[in-house]
Amino acid sequence: MIGRDGWAGLVVLAFCAVLYWLTLGIKGNPLVPIGPEFYPRIVIAVTAAFAALLVGADLLARPRAAAPRPAARPNYALVAATFAIFGIYVAALPYLGFRIATFVYVAATAALLERPRGAAGWAKVLVLALVTAAVTYFVFERYLSVLMPRGRWTGF
Amino acid sequence: MYELLGAGIANVLQWKYLLPLFLGTLAGVFGGALPGVTITMTIIVVLPFTFGLDPLQGLAAMTGVYVGGSAGGLVTAILLGLPGTPSAIATTFDGHPMAKKGEPGRALWLGIWASCFGGLLGGVFLVAATGPLARFALQFGAWEFFSLFILALSMVAGLVESSLLKGLLSGALGLIVTILGADPILGAPRLTLGIDAIEGGIQFLPVLIGVFAFAQIMTELERMGGAAQAGEAVVRAGKLAAAQLKVIWEIVSRPFLLVWASFIGVLIGVLPAIGGSAANIMAYDQAKKFSRHPERFGKGTPEGIIASESANNANVGGSLVTIMAFGIPGDAVTAVMLGALTIHGIQSGPLFISQNAELAYGIFAAYLIAHPLMVIILGVSARWMIRVVTVPKAALFPVVLVLCVVGAYALNNTMANVYVLAAFGLLGYAMVKFGFPLAPFILGVILGDEIERNLIRAIMSDPNPALFFTRPISGALLALSAASIVAALWQHQRQKRRAAAAGEGDADF
Repeated sequence: MIGRDGWAGLVVLAFCAVLYWLTLGIKGNPLVPIGPEFYPRIVIAVTAAFAALLVGADLLARPRAAAPRPAARPNYALVAATFAIFGIYVAALPYLGFRIATFVYVAATAALLERPRGAAGWAKVLVLALVTAAVTYFVFERYLSVLMPRGRWTGF
Repeated sequence: MYELLGAGIANVLQWKYLLPLFLGTLAGVFGGALPGVTITMTIIVVLPFTFGLDPLQGLAAMTGVYVGGSAGGLVTAILLGLPGTPSAIATTFDGHPMAKKGEPGRALWLGIWASCFGGLLGGVFLVAATGPLARFALQFGAWEFFSLFILALSMVAGLVESSLLKGLLSGALGLIVTILGADPILGAPRLTLGIDAIEGGIQFLPVLIGVFAFAQIMTELERMGGAAQAGEAVVRAGKLAAAQLKVIWEIVSRPFLLVWASFIGVLIGVLPAIGGSAANIMAYDQAKKFSRHPERFGKGTPEGIIASESANNANVGGSLVTIMAFGIPGDAVTAVMLGALTIHGIQSGPLFISQNAELAYGIFAAYLIAHPLMVIILGVSARWMIRVVTVPKAALFPVVLVLCVVGAYALNNTMANVYVLAAFGLLGYAMVKFGFPLAPFILGVILGDEIERNLIRAIMSDPNPALFFTRPISGALLALSAASIVAALWQHQRQKRRAAAAGEGDADF
């Protein structure tokens, strides 16, 4: 039965197949003997060969003893939620602007990672979010000349 | 050489450079001391602050982070029994028992001074070896550079602990990233996957930041909400004072141990991607083997602390040699430094030291001066550091991720790099979950364009592919690549047999 490595190898093989197909559409340059598709095809072939070997090694591997269970079950729900909030933050940055998006993001993530207890807990979260947004904005925009994104919706 | 070094030291001692160096060392010490925050993450956080600085200011700050971070891990390793960074793992073996026996000050200062002496010995190698190695590399043509980069990739892939095949595939995937976007010779668009943002190619810094920061933070988050992992502080309010001369004498009266451990650190630093985590354990193992009293190891012997700490700081000197002489980053920290050089329009590689002598010797000087700064910072702040390292991760991680976004965005003020950061953050975490090592992937991303450029140049100069094997240096480098793969295969098979004999299940291929 195919294992985790085998599935990973198959995904890479599929990606290589798509990329190879795309290299067929790359136009060569008549001025140079080696076109821009030459090196990508070598890299894709090498990658596909390693991926195929990984699939083969996985299929030929003896059945493995079950790995010992970790002491605590990994908290994948927290990881997924953190990724989701980060994704929303990145998507919202051009619309809300750096200051508002960062304030909301830091507050949301901090509250997600450790549920605030009572009004004092929420106050700490909001202060952390405010200080992070304000300090990063002032340090980078005012002193390091990095123009942070402005919000299309907020103009802020 | 000495004149240039003297000028470099005088230059870096100006406030303009000393302040960023001090702040970088301070950030490194605290980042290194925080369990769960590595030197890589610290340097990623510091990177955006260096964009507005001149090249030497920025690189001095980064050198400070590297030196400070390599030593910072010893504080928590000794006082809490939790290594702040992987490069301080072996320090816990004897440092924590010594502290528990009522000598936390002695243990701490042995670690601090051993880090300083080991780092300075690494600095001697850095200053003495970089120039000759760079001159040697000047003899290289396109064939030799191609073979050198292949050697670096194969070594990194082969030296990963888990699986050789996954290491090689990870390196190849890194190369795939560099074929997306634009051909580095003519700039012709290719394989853009219909995404406008990558038409000009993918910059490696957002990839590196995304892959490393997310892989680490998300792995830490998996453990949140479980059992508390805080160690037991053996000296919350205890005295950390020690007789300095006595401690220094304890170290210098063991010259062989100090030099040998530092040599191991430098050697491992020169080899790409092994890093301080392996250097401190290998030096500890060697110290135990050479000791007249190996039975004392693990119970609070000073030899264990000296070996581990001198090796991990000497390792920094070795890694800097590789990047400054050949333009190959030895680890993720030097990869970020390479990125900083690129941001400032400086090409690393064999010509770096001759074309940018002032900057190169400035980096040497920053490296040397960072060590006494690190001693002062650790000496003054160790007692408060225990409180600082208990900062909640719920507060730390969102701030770090915001700084990652700023770092990616500020590269050229475009959201495209932030999207790349997020995408590769997801990929980095997935790679970790599937057991793929990240170091070969990153090296592939960094070296991909150079591998392509040199391959094409070589073939355009002479289409005979046999030249890669028949030119002496190129042939030797390719033979070494093959040897490193064979050695890695042999080592993995040996581990597999041992594991099978011990009934512990399989090691990966």
